[in-house]
Amino acid sequence: MSLAAFIVEAVRVYALIGLCLAAIFLVIGIGRITPDARGAYVFRPLLIPGVVLLWPVVLLRWTAIERGAEGGQAPYLPPRRAQGFVALGMAALVVAVVAMVFAMRSEPPVERAPVLLEAPQTATGEP
Amino acid sequence: MSVKFVPVQWTINKWLYDAVLIALVAIYIWMFIRVGNAAADVTRPVDGATVRMRAFGTCAFFMLSFILAIGPLARLDKRWLPLLYNRRHFGVITAVVAATHASFVMGWYYAFSPTDAYEALLISNLAYNTLVGFPFEALGIFALLILVILAATSHDFWLWFLTPPVWKALHLSIYAAYAAVVGHVALGYLQDVKSPVFPLMFAACALGVAGLHAAAWWASRDGRVEAGEWVRVAPAGDIPDQRAVIVALGGDERAAVFRDGISVSAVSNACAHQNGPLGEGRIVDGCITCPWHGFQYRMQDGCSPAPFTEKIPTYRLKLEDGVVFIDRRANPPGTPVAPLVLEGAP
Repeated sequence: MSLAAFIVEAVRVYALIGLCLAAIFLVIGIGRITPDARGAYVFRPLLIPGVVLLWPVVLLRWTAIERGAEGGQAPYLPPRRAQGFVALGMAALVVAVVAMVFAMRSEPPVERAPVLLEAPQTATGEP
Repeated sequence: MSVKFVPVQWTINKWLYDAVLIALVAIYIWMFIRVGNAAADVTRPVDGATVRMRAFGTCAFFMLSFILAIGPLARLDKRWLPLLYNRRHFGVITAVVAATHASFVMGWYYAFSPTDAYEALLISNLAYNTLVGFPFEALGIFALLILVILAATSHDFWLWFLTPPVWKALHLSIYAAYAAVVGHVALGYLQDVKSPVFPLMFAACALGVAGLHAAAWWASRDGRVEAGEWVRVAPAGDIPDQRAVIVALGGDERAAVFRDGISVSAVSNACAHQNGPLGEGRIVDGCITCPWHGFQYRMQDGCSPAPFTEKIPTYRLKLEDGVVFIDRRANPPGTPVAPLVLEGAP
């Protein structure tokens, strides 16, 4: 099996597991971890793509909430400094890519000089 | 906002926002197919499927550029704030447009491949060691994956489930997606199109987004923060009525000092919903109102009015010689603090 075939198959298996978890989580789990979801059903299908894509994270958070673990950093403490640096990094990368690509576009097409191919040689040296 | 995960009535503004957005997307696609592509003067004759994939692809690029411009524009000029309110719908529609572009690509270039179409996509170009002819498809796959993840986690359930800091950090990946999209377009369509119109529009958008983020970062960077427990905010008269002054407290912390008539109170500048800048909001119906999505908090204790349960930290204030000072040590979220009363203020 080639690497590409393995990757495609792995993605399919990953999505299948995600679909199974989505069914269990959205039918049984979600009502157990938050009272806000009890009696609310219309929004649940909207969560299916997210559960399929992030099912390992869903599994970790679900078990953590069931165990009563803390939710991590307080909601009012934003990653504000990180956001500024990430945005600046994006800006620098975008400027570099645009400059590089326009430099590439300005070059004339590269044409290789034609090469004269030799005819196959026989054992006697005759073509 | 909703206290449970049940559908809420959309305002007329939300309907209008989405209707205008979808209409603009339809007009762009129609114009590209009818007019834009003919003017592109590409090097080879272009078939209908390619035209459609380019129409949706360039549309997704322009939409993503505009989405990324809304944040810094609103930071630099409050008149852009109305565009921020419904940005998540904008993002979801962009993901749909980008996925449509990808479906046209798969349905055209890989439809008749003897191997699996997705496998063929991964192996059709492996020239990762060269810039000219670089497999720009990989950049597009990466960007599309991020866009779909962000769209799929845009519901408020995910904000609660993942916690706001994790959700916010996840959604910062939009910057990586944009850089990848710029590379995808630059190494793909831009290398093929001969007309200067699209390349100029592409450069204007990409450099515009980069410039706006740099300008917003420059405008919102903190000055030198004073040492000591008490930090100077501003003369009392300089705090605008019904609005706030934002003060940096060191580290990543900022406080918003609001004035409502003669009462002055201070709360954390970060909304508990999506970390929106509360200090750029105003007081509506006696409550501090986030400029991003309208979440509200009482000035005196940082609690959302019932039945909502959000809480943010409060701060102590004092007045010395007409100048307001703030205690940099935040109170636990929801702690009541008596407002500072300004004698003789209007």
